[in-house]
Amino acid sequence: MRPDEDLPERLIWTTRGRSWGFRFLLKGGLSDPLLVYERSFAGLGDEPTTCHRAAGKVALRFPDPLGRRDASGRVIPHEFVVFGDLADEIASVEDGLKRVWPLVAEAYAGVWDTEGSPSFADLRLTATDSPSLDALRSASSDGGDDEQVDPS
Amino acid sequence: MAKYPRIREQHIAVFGESGSGKTVLASSFYGPSQEKSSSNDLWDLVADDTGLGTRLYKNYLGMRDHATAPGPTRFAGTTYYFSVKLKGGGKAKAQKRPFDILRLAWHDYPGEWFEESPSSEGEANRRVDTFRSLLRSDVALLLVDGQKLLDYKGEEERYLKSLLTNFRQGLLQLKEDLLAGEGRLDEFPRIWIIALSKADLFPDWDVRSFRDLVIWNAAEHIEHLRATLQEFVVTPDAFSLGEDFMLLSSAKFELSSAGPEPVEIDVTKRVGIDLILPVASLLPLERRVQWQEKMKIPMTVLDSMADGAETMAAVLIGGKGFGFEKVVAKLPKVGPLASKAAIPALIAAVKMAESQLRQINEQARETHDYLTATLTQFKLDLDQGETDGLLIRGK
Repeated sequence: MRPDEDLPERLIWTTRGRSWGFRFLLKGGLSDPLLVYERSFAGLGDEPTTCHRAAGKVALRFPDPLGRRDASGRVIPHEFVVFGDLADEIASVEDGLKRVWPLVAEAYAGVWDTEGSPSFADLRLTATDSPSLDALRSASSDGGDDEQVDPS
Repeated sequence: MAKYPRIREQHIAVFGESGSGKTVLASSFYGPSQEKSSSNDLWDLVADDTGLGTRLYKNYLGMRDHATAPGPTRFAGTTYYFSVKLKGGGKAKAQKRPFDILRLAWHDYPGEWFEESPSSEGEANRRVDTFRSLLRSDVALLLVDGQKLLDYKGEEERYLKSLLTNFRQGLLQLKEDLLAGEGRLDEFPRIWIIALSKADLFPDWDVRSFRDLVIWNAAEHIEHLRATLQEFVVTPDAFSLGEDFMLLSSAKFELSSAGPEPVEIDVTKRVGIDLILPVASLLPLERRVQWQEKMKIPMTVLDSMADGAETMAAVLIGGKGFGFEKVVAKLPKVGPLASKAAIPALIAAVKMAESQLRQINEQARETHDYLTATLTQFKLDLDQGETDGLLIRGK
């Protein structure tokens, strides 16, 4: 399944890889998604699965559906904040696994085992690999030596 | 009028890569203290923030009852404040002692913060704030992940090089923010203990086996890291890395033969966890005396390092009939705590013979002087840790 081109605007997605640590792979079109992410998951505890709707957004968490683990043997969790129409389709973790996971599954398969943390471009989420301008702006402002975003 | 309870605060910084066991360690430090079977006759351990304490205890229960390790820490550091609340001993005794609570601030953070750049600006700011708070510690533990040592068996140098080099690079990236244009720091962790986490994976090792492996494979990388860390501080000679080592195991993990999933986590089989409080409380005092004997240390550094050491020393040697009355009498009642007059008391406290220490401990227990009993017990625990091959203290 190929995701829509506006997917980066409709999802915040945080996860980790086998050897790279937790990071925002999609930022929901926000320059800094951290506060929205934290507000969405506030008070939900650290259970392995959760699905909670508030203020038109859905906070969704589930363990990697293929049981992939990090280098320490811990099952990798995926966390999403879902916006807009897509959020209206999610009422349970099962809905999330059916509606949201297929949008990113292929992208994750391509990056989860890479040595360094992936860039947005590495995800190859759209046909043109062209994220929104805001996503590009936020990615390019991250700084750091592992920054690999290439807007071209 | 003195405010009660009077609190002495120590910080401990635990550094380690993602998955090296930092959160498990904090959970295993706190969890057992909530069980009836582990009640201590001298003090109670309490988490100052109930919610955070509950989180750690839940982690502990997950390990103990469900063979489930805590999930990874993400996007935020957490400082756990643990209070060692001394038992009563009567109002008069309580009023006489210089403090009632020994508080340990334990800083936990996502391990990847030293390995990768954060993926958001908010996280980057938090990283700097977290490391600023870590700098208040006198003692830092740098965790060597036992599982990775096993994974790299025969090529341990590769892992140790990567660990130490990445950590050094991470520090260099933060250096400008941490120093904030104010030059080198007075307050900074000056005692860096290289600690083997998941030591249960090496049942035949004692701390010397671990030290020897690290030194043989990574002496040069330790040297580079030491040089980098020394660039952060004034009086860089008052700094130790590669001299202190310890073994730590939060529990014994029995893994499934089919994969990395634990089938049983025996939380009763902990190694070195009980040494963390003594290390955080007394090692700075010991090291300060060693350094003061070797070099002249500026007052600004002494004030920030092992601050309150004189109070600790006075408690340790304060028992009657042990021949310390003269040095105790010379301790300054007011004025700068780092006064030269305190040095003999510090030296006496640090160099006390074990037999004397035991006598003071016994007397303090008999007279319900819980503070002296606790601190002398910590010191005895450090000595025992060395005897048991769990700890090496720099000389």
